Amino acid sequence: MAHVESSDVKETRMRVAGIEVPVSIVPRLAKEGYRGRFSTGLRGLLSGMRLTLGYFFGPVITQQYPENRKTLKFPERYRAILKLKFVPMKEAITSWDFKRRDEGLPKVDAHTLRTWLRGYEEVKYHKCTGCGNCEKACPNGSIKVITRYGEITEDRELDRFIWRMDSCMFCNACVQACPHDALEMGPEFENAVYDRRLLIYNLNTQAGAAARFVVEEEAEMRRKMMAPREVCGGPIPLNGHYLPRVEPLQVVPLLDGPAPENAVAEVAL
Amino acid sequence: MQTLIPTLLSACVSAGWTVQTNADRATAALAASNTWGAAWSILVSLLVVALLVTLLGLGLIYLERKIAALFQSRLGPMRVGPYGLLQTVMDTIKLLLKEDIVPDKADKVLHLLAPAIALTTPVVVLGLLPYGPLAQLADVNIGILFISAISGFGVLGVLLGGWSSNNKWSLIGAMRAGAQIISYELSATLALLVVVMFAGTLSLSGIVESQAEGWWVWRAPLVGLVAFLIHLIASTAEINRLPFDIPEGESELAAGFHTEYSGMRFSFFFLAEFVNMFTVAALTTTLFLGGWMPFHVGEWARFNEVMDHIPPLVWFSFKTGFIVFVIMWVRWTFPRLRVDQLMHFEWKFLLPVGFANLVAASVVALGNWYFYPVA
Repeated sequence: MAHVESSDVKETRMRVAGIEVPVSIVPRLAKEGYRGRFSTGLRGLLSGMRLTLGYFFGPVITQQYPENRKTLKFPERYRAILKLKFVPMKEAITSWDFKRRDEGLPKVDAHTLRTWLRGYEEVKYHKCTGCGNCEKACPNGSIKVITRYGEITEDRELDRFIWRMDSCMFCNACVQACPHDALEMGPEFENAVYDRRLLIYNLNTQAGAAARFVVEEEAEMRRKMMAPREVCGGPIPLNGHYLPRVEPLQVVPLLDGPAPENAVAEVAL
Repeated sequence: MQTLIPTLLSACVSAGWTVQTNADRATAALAASNTWGAAWSILVSLLVVALLVTLLGLGLIYLERKIAALFQSRLGPMRVGPYGLLQTVMDTIKLLLKEDIVPDKADKVLHLLAPAIALTTPVVVLGLLPYGPLAQLADVNIGILFISAISGFGVLGVLLGGWSSNNKWSLIGAMRAGAQIISYELSATLALLVVVMFAGTLSLSGIVESQAEGWWVWRAPLVGLVAFLIHLIASTAEINRLPFDIPEGESELAAGFHTEYSGMRFSFFFLAEFVNMFTVAALTTTLFLGGWMPFHVGEWARFNEVMDHIPPLVWFSFKTGFIVFVIMWVRWTFPRLRVDQLMHFEWKFLLPVGFANLVAASVVALGNWYFYPVA
């Protein structure tokens, strides 16, 4: 199509309302002749056809959803749920081991490592320190970080990380605000429930200090440092903090006697 | 059985054809006072047309949806049957079961008649097309003239449908269709005349046989190609397909001339559109791409012999399929034209080019300046 070369633009100064101002004079676009219009038009049509033919032979994006649940492919930027990044114990100790080596401390021998690892393989440690930066960054107030005083670390540590999916807009601000790389957005999207109270998640499975503090302790100590937390369990909201207009949720095991009147069945999340 | 097998065998090889139509068979049977034989031939013709309409309707709609999906990086219908093959069958059943609504203030008789007229014309054309040397229902000696007359008649269904619905969208759509078809019929016919001039006959079989040395699209230097392109564009406009689908432009006219139609009558219009697409593709194939004629190049005897071993029906289906694909490709690439752009394109560009091409073609035909001219 017609365009203006920068060399054709003339820079001058002009008096407008008694003030001299810099002016660029751009030449009027020359109207294309019949042949010019014909060839640009034809070229446009042909390039369009080439493009669509490329799509025709290109990859298909559609996925057969319910059938391919196990092999679903998600785009990298897809955000459906907020998660705390969990560090398996083995990985945590290895990274800590490297840190010891960098500081000139002796390497932990295999026997000690094995003793430390015993019984901790299934426990996942979070990286959250409970600083509350995500809570401040959240534009909707969907995050509530509840901290407790750690007996062993003698410091503030995470008790419950409460995330309200019902008011979250998945803007990713919390993930970007986190100074410890403890949060991430995951693609797990089948989150529909029948009770909106079930959209209030407790993201940490263990209350306690962040992984990098935990691994420095002995095995016995570590067990004492952590306390289990359920995803949606316990009286929510917790530790006396109540979220506005949400009743505390009673989660009752399904096959344990007659359910109370206001009980909600536990839902796997 | 002893006659059937050699017949089938000769139908499978494109060499040494003698054109024999179903109408010829019926006439021969009548001449031998074999009434049942003649009746059988007529019955076969009717069945073939009925089967073609059904299969084309089901197949082309499925193909259109699949191809559209692929052009948009989608999968298209996948749920009903393997690869969604039964989707159009189910859609047909759905349309059959839907309520047939006739608007209160509509002209009932015309409203009823319009879809039937719209579907009749492409069906008549189906009976005249040469699918193969032995697979043609009737070879009319004014074939081309008849087909262009009949396909011009097809707009009557659209016009009546829009008029009788008593709805302004339908009326505007129908008037647009009328204006469009009258305009583009000219260019299409001018392109047809080029081939008629080259072949020296109006009969479709005759035109196919005139392309034994090479197809008109390349054998007549340049004029053939220009005529082919003009015919393809004008025919696309005549069958109201995108980018020329202003009679049913969804963004402006709800659904255009068939806004007030539902159920089976709507599906008649829908079916007519797809059968029309096939007839246009088949006609373009017959005129410019040699119909069922294999790809021959002048003196390359060996090459021609290999090509002869591909059956004529395969040649015909392959070429027609290619044209159908091109029509669909264009549909899913280009945006819809505005009404004034449409008229501007026809009257100020396509028509003058068509006339100039006709003059050039007559010079070529007079000078016998073809590639591989026949003495």
